[in-house]
Amino acid sequence: MRRCAQLLVLLALACRPAERGASTGAAPARRIVSLAPSLTELLFALGAGPQVVGRTAYCLYPPAARAVPSVGDGLNPSVEAIAARHPDLVLLYRSPQTETAARQLDALGIPTMLLKDDRMEDVARTARLLGRATGRAAAGDSIARVIDSLLAAPVLPTPTRARIAFVVWDAPPIVIGSGSYLDELVAMAGAENVFHDLHTPSATVSLETIASRDPDWIAILRDSLNAQPPAWAGRREWRTVRAVREGRFLILPAELFGQPSPRAPEAVAFLENLLNHSPLPAPQ
Amino acid sequence: MKWLVLSLALLAALLAAVTLGPATVPAGQLFRSAIFWDLRLPRALLALLVGGSLGAAGASLQSLVRNPLADPFLLGLSGGAGLGAVLAIALHLGGAWTLPLAAFAGALLALGLVFRLGLVGGSALDPRVLLLGGVAVGAFCGAVTTAVVSLAEASALRNAYLWLWGGLSGASWDTVTLVAVYVPLPLVVLLAAARPLDLLTLGEEPARYLGTDVAVTRRRVYLAASLLTAAAVAVAGVIGFVGLIVPHLGRALFGGRHRALLPASFLAGGILLLLADTLARTAVAPRELPVGVVTALVGVPLFVLLLRRWTAA
Repeated sequence: MRRCAQLLVLLALACRPAERGASTGAAPARRIVSLAPSLTELLFALGAGPQVVGRTAYCLYPPAARAVPSVGDGLNPSVEAIAARHPDLVLLYRSPQTETAARQLDALGIPTMLLKDDRMEDVARTARLLGRATGRAAAGDSIARVIDSLLAAPVLPTPTRARIAFVVWDAPPIVIGSGSYLDELVAMAGAENVFHDLHTPSATVSLETIASRDPDWIAILRDSLNAQPPAWAGRREWRTVRAVREGRFLILPAELFGQPSPRAPEAVAFLENLLNHSPLPAPQ
Repeated sequence: MKWLVLSLALLAALLAAVTLGPATVPAGQLFRSAIFWDLRLPRALLALLVGGSLGAAGASLQSLVRNPLADPFLLGLSGGAGLGAVLAIALHLGGAWTLPLAAFAGALLALGLVFRLGLVGGSALDPRVLLLGGVAVGAFCGAVTTAVVSLAEASALRNAYLWLWGGLSGASWDTVTLVAVYVPLPLVVLLAAARPLDLLTLGEEPARYLGTDVAVTRRRVYLAASLLTAAAVAVAGVIGFVGLIVPHLGRALFGGRHRALLPASFLAGGILLLLADTLARTAVAPRELPVGVVTALVGVPLFVLLLRRWTAA
């Protein structure tokens, strides 16, 4: 089935020799398919939005990205849907599945870049790389410099050095550990991730661990910014966590916090602002 | 004597479950801490009830279908529960109790389908049709689940999958009360069918000659065991191997008489799940393993050992 699809795609490409020729060499990419929300955002930030001809169904930021045709899923990509956009560069998030897709694309003569952008440092590096690939090296360097200076800036602890737990799922409870972008953001905002000692981006933990680490805040990401606490906060077992009992939730926009982004300074400022304007009650 | 040992093992398992955990609670403050009262104790009781339900359901289903491989989840209930849970998440149904309710509804749907299929061969619920129907319904639900997962947004559904692998992290006094009120009825139905079940293991014909209403017994036992399993999957996900291994242990120790086998399987199932959950919470603390993984890791070697002894004997 897949081989059949590849054959069709090959035939289609063979009929377009001019475009295939244009994709070789060091010329800036003009038709880019981006298969990760963070990479799509970065392309638009570089000013390369008009060069993006394909995105994933989850690439919703910036709003202009929604006008680009979707090629479906980014982690389990459809090579045929991508090839149908006639890209001269495909950006993929590096994982075993996408490496297979990248090999298939290479076999079709479509250049690919496998990028791993999980942390703040990666944003700077990727910005430089993509700046060069899109013919916007100056813009790439400028984004990278902003991120580098954010990384180098001294961190001012919030007055109380707020202690935060990111809860991404309730049953079983899954929290964010170190080795994640969110953990970096928390540190830069002068706060502390109570699960910083877990060296994986996320981990399943038991509720009693959350209760005994006693975070001041429970942070959750949400697509729509209503201030309602999450539904699970009403469950009795969660009320053993003091922050849940006291309704101390930090509701963060997923669009700003959900992926490594050149808007990291904005995210840090957002978090600092939230923490500074909702001070903790005096310890009893 | 055997019952005394089983009771002592239960006490020891309960004690381990409430005293051990990733959070260190000084022994003197144990009875004053919320971690003990609101997390560990309800979780231990839920493990006991769920493990016990799976043990008793497994024992009666193995006798019902006269197949030592029967497991409470073999009859399609896990597939139905999984489909219910994944659909609830994909459709963004909110609410604190959505997941367990949806899983319960899905399990009931699968139960109804398999039961209806079982009646195709007559009112006596042909065990072969039940088994095949269960596997078919389970596979169908699994296929729909995978279709939903592959079409809907990834991260939430990955988490739903994790939930399906079993875990007692949702334990609270609310869930314990609910299960404690629900479980006795099907258990009593199973116990009341102990004598007919004894006869059924001899075969359908002898059972009938000895005065058993085969059709009624099968229907009652199937429904009671499945309702127990549906409740277990709703509050704790799919916990494998407890319902498969525990009845065999029970038979080895207490013989095949269901008057003794069913209570023994309940207790042994409770003990096994208590120990497995304690291990799941503490082995890689502060992280936690899905308890279904632990029951498999502990249960399968135990099972292999038993198999070797039985085949050698």
